[in-house]
Amino acid sequence: MLRFAARLSLIALLSAVPGVRLGAQVPRIAVERRLARELDLHVGDTLRIGPAPDSLRARAVVGAIYEARPDPAGVLRPDRFVRLHLPDLADLLGTPDRVDRFGVALVPGTDPIQAAEVLNRAAFGFRAYPSSVIAAESSQTFLVVSRFHRAIGVITIVAAAVFLLCIMLLKVEERRLDAAVMRFVGVRRRTIFAALLLEACLVAAVGSLLGAGLALAAGLATNAYYQRLFDTALVFSLVTPRIVGFSVALSLGLGLGAGALAAWRLVRTSPMALWGRA
Amino acid sequence: MTLVWALRNLGRHPLRTALSLAGIAVASAMLLDMVMLSGGIERSFERLLLGRGFQIRVSPKGTLPFDAEATIADAARVVARLRADPDVVAAAPVLGGALYARAGDSLVTLFGYGIDPSAQSIYRLERGRDLTVGDTVGILLSAPAAARLAAALGDTLRVVGRLDPGIAAAAVERRLVVRGMVRWLYDYRDQPSVGVVLPVMQRLVGAPDHMSLVVLKARDDAAVPRVVGRLRGAEPRLEVNSVAQLVVHFRERLVYFRQLSYILGTVSLIVTVLLVATLLTITVNERLGEIATLRALGVGRPGIVRQVLAEGTALTLLGTALGIGLGVLTARRLDQILTSFPGLPAALSFFVPEPRTLGIAGAILLLTGSVAGLYPAWLAASAPIAATLRAEAT
Repeated sequence: MLRFAARLSLIALLSAVPGVRLGAQVPRIAVERRLARELDLHVGDTLRIGPAPDSLRARAVVGAIYEARPDPAGVLRPDRFVRLHLPDLADLLGTPDRVDRFGVALVPGTDPIQAAEVLNRAAFGFRAYPSSVIAAESSQTFLVVSRFHRAIGVITIVAAAVFLLCIMLLKVEERRLDAAVMRFVGVRRRTIFAALLLEACLVAAVGSLLGAGLALAAGLATNAYYQRLFDTALVFSLVTPRIVGFSVALSLGLGLGAGALAAWRLVRTSPMALWGRA
Repeated sequence: MTLVWALRNLGRHPLRTALSLAGIAVASAMLLDMVMLSGGIERSFERLLLGRGFQIRVSPKGTLPFDAEATIADAARVVARLRADPDVVAAAPVLGGALYARAGDSLVTLFGYGIDPSAQSIYRLERGRDLTVGDTVGILLSAPAAARLAAALGDTLRVVGRLDPGIAAAAVERRLVVRGMVRWLYDYRDQPSVGVVLPVMQRLVGAPDHMSLVVLKARDDAAVPRVVGRLRGAEPRLEVNSVAQLVVHFRERLVYFRQLSYILGTVSLIVTVLLVATLLTITVNERLGEIATLRALGVGRPGIVRQVLAEGTALTLLGTALGIGLGVLTARRLDQILTSFPGLPAALSFFVPEPRTLGIAGAILLLTGSVAGLYPAWLAASAPIAATLRAEAT
């Protein structure tokens, strides 16, 4: 069960009233696009609205259909919204002259924290918060998700690092016979080491580029899928140059390290052993 | 015997085998975590809801329990009608809302539950004694509430409701004696909650004869769908859900985690397949001469295939064994992160290790490891004997 959500527009329940013509005093409401689509509502339609299923006593006309601003907090919730003029909603809920909260715009240059402190000292019965505090508080969910993603990212990086080490080791080991032949014909260890390292570097670079391309494609597919699933314009996967840079640098570093380790082991082995005749 | 040979072969390249094992262990740990994540939260949620044996939740139409501030009017009559159902054994009404308690000069904000002590379903008593029907001066505290109020058993609290924002004065104030310390089953971490009998709560929040939800216990699990169907027909202004239906709603809200677990689980499997297949292919290529010799001595293709597959299976088995330990450890850490979601009941868990889950993850990995060995096994079995031996000799 989830906690109580404090909203004035708590349960403005709707019911369509087809074919009813109303006078100018009927309140007009704005309906969220997703709700309008689900209920097949159009501008000019008349609805019965009320605070509870058994008290749909008021009538309202759809005055506008609006696109809600993408909100990550609401993406997994099935809530749909309508907007009423404040007096109309207060009448509907039977709570005249009451509001949940005020937004206060300050004179440019005023410190919001100090202004909130002054307001809190000046009056009882409400609490003033700077917008930054509200934003920090309401973004807790995303901080948790972000921490989870980071932890998963660390596990993925460890898995990728081990995988890369293993592949590089095997790749270099595959060159045992080549290395033996090169040693037999007089090629220096340092040259063989450099050649193997260069090969590892090339493999890591090509692999990194392919990986970056794969990540971009996966990001596009992820966004397309979730934007369609949740009917939102939110961006779910963002591949930034910084992320690409970090990933490429990491894979190049790991690839080079693994290649160097494997090449070092190879050049230290005697040519006869590499040839399989030791 | 085949398995022993496979293990010996793996032992011939300790660094290579160790790295492969480490890779498979990390991949299988990830897979295990993702299998636990894919269904763990739902099972945990279901257990939480069924913890007190109540299988049905009744809330205002269009809402889920405690998902909104909506309340059910005419509570006494509704509860009486619900209790009159022949398959309903118990009906526990609950009213939730904001309360305040005076602590020195200041007011501490609390979350209040109004409950019926004769049929309560949302807390466990930890110390002191429970409320009784008609106890209009008793109050139950959660540990965070007791800490914030610095209150102990037997203390008297001044609890206020319906705070008027205009004048900071309470419309209602009551002195209540702390009867017991309880653990509220659905509270989020550090939620300061208190409980009083339903009529007191109704007076405090100014909602006479209202309740937030009713929790029902059916005669047996088989009767639950019957009761839900009957009540939905009889009470159209109420939302009646069985625990199974609530789990479905919950699953819809957590679809992101389930899909993430599928994607990462699949990636883990691909990593395992690639690791095992690469290692075995290179090993087989290195041992083509040995394999050709065995074939020349009369060992059949099935025997060679068995040996390569056994090597892949042994590698996967060892890696998975390491991965299970690693997976359980990482699951704990990941669970700590996810259960810190604001507003989520503290008793919920995202990663639930169960023998069945572990078995499924292990079986999938084992199958994957075996399948990964198919290509190298085919390579080994199809190597031309004479040509390979001649190439080895030169």
